[in-house]
Amino acid sequence: MIGERSLVLVLLELALLVLLGPLVTGTIQKLKARLQSRQGAGLLQPYRDLAKLFRKGTVQADTTSGFFRSIPVLVLAATMAAGALVPVIRAGPPAVPLGDALMLLGLLALARFLTSVGALDAGGAFGGMGASREMTIAPLVEPVLMMVVFSAAVVAGTTELGALAAHRGTSWILGWHAADFLGFAAMLVLLPAETGRIPVDNPDTHLELTMLHEGMLLEHSGPGLGCMVLASHTRQIVTLGLVSALFFPAAVAGAGAVSLLLGAGAFAVKILVLAVYLALVESSYAKLRLFRVPLYLGIGFVCALTALALRIL
Amino acid sequence: MSDLDAASGLKLIAVCYAAGILSSLLARWSGRLALRVGHLFALAGAVAGLGVSLGVLLGGPGFTLNQPLPALFPFARLSLSVDGLSAYFLLVISVVAIAAAIYGPAYLAAHAPDASAARQAAQVVALNVFLGCMVFVCAAGDAMTFLLCWEGMTLSSYVLVVSDDRDGENARAGLLYMVMAHGGTALLLVAFLALTERAGGFDFAALRAVAANLDGTTRTVLFFVALGGFATKAGVIPLHVWLPRAHPAAPSHVSALMSGVMLKVAIYGMLRFGFDLLAPATGALPSSWGWTVLILGTTSAVLGVLYALQLHDLPRLLAFHSVENIGIILIGVGLAMILWRTEGAGGVLATVALTAALLHTVNHAAFKGLLFLGAGSVLSRTHVRNIEELGGLARRMPWTAGLFLLGAVAISALPPLNGFVSEWLTFQVLLGGAMRFHGPAGLGIVFSAAMLALTGGLAAACFAKAFGVTFLGRPRTPHAEHATEAPTSMIVGMVCLAVVCVGLGVAPGYAMRLLDAPTAGLLHGPGASAVVTARGPLVLSASMMPEGTSATAISMTVMAALLVALAALAWVLRREDRHAERRAAPTWTCGMTPTPRFDYTATAFAKPLRLVFAALYRPRREVVREMTAPYAVRRIRYAGEIVDLSETQIYHRVERGISELSRAIRDRSTGRIYGYIGFLFGALVVTLLLFGVGPG
Repeated sequence: MIGERSLVLVLLELALLVLLGPLVTGTIQKLKARLQSRQGAGLLQPYRDLAKLFRKGTVQADTTSGFFRSIPVLVLAATMAAGALVPVIRAGPPAVPLGDALMLLGLLALARFLTSVGALDAGGAFGGMGASREMTIAPLVEPVLMMVVFSAAVVAGTTELGALAAHRGTSWILGWHAADFLGFAAMLVLLPAETGRIPVDNPDTHLELTMLHEGMLLEHSGPGLGCMVLASHTRQIVTLGLVSALFFPAAVAGAGAVSLLLGAGAFAVKILVLAVYLALVESSYAKLRLFRVPLYLGIGFVCALTALALRIL
Repeated sequence: MSDLDAASGLKLIAVCYAAGILSSLLARWSGRLALRVGHLFALAGAVAGLGVSLGVLLGGPGFTLNQPLPALFPFARLSLSVDGLSAYFLLVISVVAIAAAIYGPAYLAAHAPDASAARQAAQVVALNVFLGCMVFVCAAGDAMTFLLCWEGMTLSSYVLVVSDDRDGENARAGLLYMVMAHGGTALLLVAFLALTERAGGFDFAALRAVAANLDGTTRTVLFFVALGGFATKAGVIPLHVWLPRAHPAAPSHVSALMSGVMLKVAIYGMLRFGFDLLAPATGALPSSWGWTVLILGTTSAVLGVLYALQLHDLPRLLAFHSVENIGIILIGVGLAMILWRTEGAGGVLATVALTAALLHTVNHAAFKGLLFLGAGSVLSRTHVRNIEELGGLARRMPWTAGLFLLGAVAISALPPLNGFVSEWLTFQVLLGGAMRFHGPAGLGIVFSAAMLALTGGLAAACFAKAFGVTFLGRPRTPHAEHATEAPTSMIVGMVCLAVVCVGLGVAPGYAMRLLDAPTAGLLHGPGASAVVTARGPLVLSASMMPEGTSATAISMTVMAALLVALAALAWVLRREDRHAERRAAPTWTCGMTPTPRFDYTATAFAKPLRLVFAALYRPRREVVREMTAPYAVRRIRYAGEIVDLSETQIYHRVERGISELSRAIRDRSTGRIYGYIGFLFGALVVTLLLFGVGPG
């Protein structure tokens, strides 16, 4: 099962990831609606929204600079490039070296940096507020994410996600070390923060006091907004893919069409489980006050540090 | 390159800078002409420096260039010796110096158009002395040359700091700089003299020979004394207080040189002392060395960026980021010291660590130089340092804005630019170190890795603020509103450094060959390219397992190509339907007329992090409301400030102590000459009693 993934496979996985991204959002929204005893929109609603946005005209703030129009393009490109680093169907390093978990986090950080720069461009208070809050939370999330990655990497001796997944292999939850549980717990704490969901952010709100990520998108419209929204979907599934690569890697051998399909199916199931988790968390908690968020992330930090300590000591 | 060519290259460098110094005489006729010619000679000297350094770096393994100098002192033979390490730092100096020399004349003309000819002459002399001294500190072959040039570097940069005078503030910054720099030089003097006294000569070769037989305690004491001296110059926290004051005070292209290059000369000194002059003949370095450097580096990285985040004076903010980046370099240096000559794959990891540190040295020189030059363009066009009073410059200065954004992405360690590459290597070594050292040591290394990750995230936040508030939104003052693009020569200077940033980010493998000579020469192990680019120049890999079984491999080039391809795809996707409407409208401000006051300010942007790290910042704020009626506020005044903990906890206490001491002395001083002669006599007697009755 440890084999190298060819470039074609990597690109195929990337396409799959980008295409499935909106579906994950749709699933979470549907689940949330059901948990709130609503019918909710269909699973495919995010696709319809995207299609609508890409057809629409653009209204651009008259004070923006030349950067503003290229921001959505760059953000989407950086997020998709991060998607190319996630092993989806099969484990194992790519045949052509691409990047590792640090590169993935770096690309997501690049997308976030550009988003917040774009938010400051229109010169409204909402964009600035969103950017400020996003850039407050991000530096607190990133070190913890990196420590979770390290807690897996000190065993495997690599930070390449495909190789990490291959190293963990088929060891199922029964074969987990205590450090794995703690690392996973840290990841569960971080997931809502990294995907912009309750209790850290609320993707449904447009009330200025509560929004983080949405505030930065306010001045984008039409296809530009479409790119930003697609980037958010992709970012979400990439983060979930990172978790599944670190803790529940693919366990499919062979290179035939059947095993590829099986791998894709297994990936879908794993993502679905994590999506259900996110929907449950969103439905059962309220959004935290901004200044409570560092304390919340502190739980993740302690878990990750303990996981690493258990690995090293 | 033959020995002769390189030797004449060194002479050429000296001649160019000497001609640059002499060109100040032209200021008799025209200050502007003196500036032009002086910078031209500085440029020629930098190009010659680039040639010499490339010649030595590519001249094959172990190539060292020795050049005796005229005997100025009866007791010391002066000489130059350029080995791989010297040549590498010469390269770093030259790259930034080229950009600064192209940028300088137009900047000085625009920034201070009515400067007196004398001041311009002084700037030309000081700039050429400064550049020449930095080159010859790195090329010094003996302690005397090193110290002389070191002092020359300090004095000339002092002249440059105070040359751009603003209401006496620069003079105060310069004074602080002088005091701190000389404290550091005094420590260096102690370290060098302790060695030269034992060696009976000043030559580095003689010092090396005598240091090989030192006992462990003396060796460690000497290292820490030298470390103190170099750390002062490098601006390591808590010895950094002079840096954020002095660097921004100088003209911006000199700030670029001071922040981008002068601090690196201190790093050169640390490496020269730690791995070469004071290193034991065999066996690992004392563990206290590496751990101290690692802890200092981690502290500087985190605190440097945290303080930068709360500053809104653009050059000062950049200066604090230099503290941060010196910290990142020191993390690599410290790891190399810890891992050097340890068994197993430690040697290989030490090479990766040193590679990371050296690569970050040139990377930081490139992007910090670029950012300082960008800040200089803004300063010369608006004469405003506080970013709160800027805004909207991207529409008025598109080139400067774009280049500044590039530098901001690079310094935030974001792919696909160069900052990411060196931080990636540092992370790989941190991980490799954590796997080798079990127990608390491993945990310490991992903690350092987490802090490095925090540093990267905070740097991104800081530069989103700095770039966004300076260049985006609406102009907040007439200064910003009437700004125009910088002249071509200034943009060309910035483009030079931007090309280095992109090149080292997208194809770092090709630069590894230049790192072979310093890494192999210093560590006596495999060169950088044998370890980091073992799989070809397009792939970076770092072997982490002690057995070297598993390795992480990334390719910056492929990722950059993928990023470009995906951006093209997204561009196609985003292309508006031709029939769809596209119009401009005012920004949404809840129905009010948009004014610049709706723009988010830098203070507001950094506020959440100020509260998160309140324990460190100890923020103070003062709000004064003028009321007309119980609930109607007519005017509100807000002032907030944060404190630098090392300033309040260390320096203010020392200052108080010195003040009290001097007050006590003043009470004893009578003003009569007999009294002072008595004090002198007493001091002499005490000294003779202490040291005069030696065994000899």
